[in-house]
Amino acid sequence: MFDAVRNNQRIVQLFLALITLPFAFWGVDSYVRNASVGADFASVGDTKISAQQFDKAFREQQDRMRQQLGTNFRPETMNTPEARLALLNSLVDQRLLLLEAAKGRLGASDDLLREIIGKIPALQENGQFSMARYQNALAAQGMTQPQFESQLRQDLTMQQLVGALGDTGIVSNTAAEAMLRIQAEERQVAELRIAPEQFADQLRIDAAAAQKHYDENIKQFELPEQAKAEYVVLSLETLLAQTTVGEAEVKAWYDSHQERYQQAEERRASHILLMTNASAPEAEKAKAKAKAEEVLKEIERAPGKFAELAKKVSQDPGSAEKGGDLGFFGRGMMVKAFEDTVFKQKEGEVSGLVQSEFGYHIIKLTGIKGGKQRSMEEARPEIEGELKRQAASRKFAESAEAFSNMVYEQSDSLNPVAEKFKLKIQQSNWLPRTTNPQIVAALGTLGNAKVLASLFSDDAVKNKRNTEAVEVAPNTLLAARVLEHRPAAAKPFESVKADIEARLKAQQAAVLVKQAGEAQLATLQAGEDKANWALVKNVSRLQGRQVPPAAMQAIFKAGVQKLPAYVGVDVGGNYMLYKIMKVSQPEKTDDNQRKVLQREYSTMAAQEDFGAYLAALRARYKIEINKSALETKERQ
Amino acid sequence: MATYDLEEQEQLAELKAWWKQYGNLVTGILTAAAVGVIAWQGWNWYQRNQTGQASMVYGVLQRAALEKDTPRVKAASGELLEKFGGTTYAPLGALTAAKAMFDAGDAKTAKVQLAWVAENGKDELRDLARLRLAAVLLDEKAYDDALKQLDGSFNAGFAVRVAESRGDVFGAQGKASEARSAYQAALTKLDEADKSGKGKNSLQDRQANGPYREMLQQKRDSLAESK
Repeated sequence: MFDAVRNNQRIVQLFLALITLPFAFWGVDSYVRNASVGADFASVGDTKISAQQFDKAFREQQDRMRQQLGTNFRPETMNTPEARLALLNSLVDQRLLLLEAAKGRLGASDDLLREIIGKIPALQENGQFSMARYQNALAAQGMTQPQFESQLRQDLTMQQLVGALGDTGIVSNTAAEAMLRIQAEERQVAELRIAPEQFADQLRIDAAAAQKHYDENIKQFELPEQAKAEYVVLSLETLLAQTTVGEAEVKAWYDSHQERYQQAEERRASHILLMTNASAPEAEKAKAKAKAEEVLKEIERAPGKFAELAKKVSQDPGSAEKGGDLGFFGRGMMVKAFEDTVFKQKEGEVSGLVQSEFGYHIIKLTGIKGGKQRSMEEARPEIEGELKRQAASRKFAESAEAFSNMVYEQSDSLNPVAEKFKLKIQQSNWLPRTTNPQIVAALGTLGNAKVLASLFSDDAVKNKRNTEAVEVAPNTLLAARVLEHRPAAAKPFESVKADIEARLKAQQAAVLVKQAGEAQLATLQAGEDKANWALVKNVSRLQGRQVPPAAMQAIFKAGVQKLPAYVGVDVGGNYMLYKIMKVSQPEKTDDNQRKVLQREYSTMAAQEDFGAYLAALRARYKIEINKSALETKERQ
Repeated sequence: MATYDLEEQEQLAELKAWWKQYGNLVTGILTAAAVGVIAWQGWNWYQRNQTGQASMVYGVLQRAALEKDTPRVKAASGELLEKFGGTTYAPLGALTAAKAMFDAGDAKTAKVQLAWVAENGKDELRDLARLRLAAVLLDEKAYDDALKQLDGSFNAGFAVRVAESRGDVFGAQGKASEARSAYQAALTKLDEADKSGKGKNSLQDRQANGPYREMLQQKRDSLAESK
């Protein structure tokens, strides 16, 4: 081998020089960076969107939707190929913006990063940024500081680009005014409706037509595959109902959790405060003290006058009004010297002078409550509930796997699991094989996509096996088996004949309505107006919906050089004729309205601009989407 | 001194001869390469430094725009264009400032900013600036200048908005049929972009286009076909 090196020294030297060069200037990095891993979902320019990145975005999207929709959230709807493609498209857009930002050398500065992090309220303690909180929050998210900061920097960088493009659409005042004029223009119209009912007696359906329609559109009349099933549900609730708690357990729990059943002692006191300032000279403090002693003497002379005196001399503005009353409070709520005194006093007792950082207090204890231990009997329902919950969730954790295994291993019946876990076997109504969200939602837990899928699998239908155990809700497992099965079939002709005839009649009527309407429109436009106009209306786009949208569009599309002008439009089986009699502009345009419109319009224009910007980026960078990865990967 | 056998001496001589012939060239190339790389790194460093500073000024500008503090917007954007005109922050800042100034009623300053980007900006940013410059020019009734901005070549994605803006100018000039066909062209291009799905992105699906399409239709329909 080394002979080759010796014989071709020059080539080898050259080769060595070549591979050393990149090391010297760009580091080893450039050799390994492009190594690819796994099946990528898309490539954008020179970068990839990996399966991990897609999965992460997918999970985040699911979490977001779950938070927004709560229990209405159905994960299946987000897991169609179309929804996944939409998600991937937004990831591609994001990546494009990042690439473009990198190309323009955009980057958020360290200062900005520091400032933003410092301002996150959750990371503050007493209004100050707390490093400890920051570290904890990161740990809770499972992120390291550099990870989080680079993520944040990326977001901020993208914001620099997006902010300059997405919020900066300019719409000229000229265009906005023109738009306002369009919106505000009023047209006075008279309306004439040609309805299908007018032709009811002209409709003829011959006997064979319905049959023919049925034969030709047999697919429409198909009923989906259906099954009746029996099923068992193992859930925390069923186990909870089965759980009992023994006397000894309750006692043991009570004994070992004494502190939970203790009510904290609270005391009520009144006080008279003579304030001193901590930084005040000694002489002043002495003066306050002398005054306090005077008050104390007065109270000793006439103990009943405490409240009266408090009102008169106490310098605690909160309590003085109420005769010094502070209400009930627990330990830890008052300054230490005050608390120590109060919790030593007997009810009705008046203290001597107590000095705290506020000044001199004279304290009277007026009430004591709590401090008692609740008896076991009092706490029993609470304890039993707690113990049952604990036992049931322990039992669920143990049983879940056994349940799943058992329905799989003894797959010809649900009886063994029902017996073992004391579950009731329930029967369903006919379940259709469908993914229609409305129908599925009405089925409750049985509507779970996985349950339906395994219920209609060959294993369940042909081989009469149990379905797998499916977690249909948190801590809820369901297993089912097919009792009865109906394959997909067309509804018999007789049962749908009336429907078909009605449908055909409606079709015929629609044709007649349109013919009549168009004929009448032609005569009207020819200048012959003998129609029986009804209902004069003033319509404008700004006012909204005085007429159906399609009619609105037709009315405002009509040329009005010559009045009256006539238009006709088909609206949901009726033919509507309009005679435009007057076109007018409101006296003056409202400046405020113009501003609102201009703002809306600017937002719309900016959105279009941004869309065009992204489209241009898409055209400039090479983008490949891995369709097969999108379609094959069923994600949880 | 080491002794070489015959073969090695021969090789040595050969090598010396080769070096005599090509030595200067090789040294020259290597030196040039090294100088090139060093210059490149230096350039990168300079750019990073410039953009780092520009980033901070841009941050100030963004905040000022958000707070509608127009004097600060003006100052920050002026600094960006003057000192950091070579960075990407300059056109981004100018676009931001133009919007803020236009909204504050100072169309003149907005025009200067947009004209700068239309002149010095690259690719899509230039397209955006010309589109907006045309809007400002339209308000000044400088119709021909506005149309000139819209006549240049644009990235394909901007076709719809360009056509719409042309319609706006024609409309203001009172050229109804030209305006109508411009709006019609905008609608047609919107349909094309929808159908082909090419260059389609997460923003531009049919739904997002709903109100925009409706607006284009209204603009077109307001200019009735002359019969």
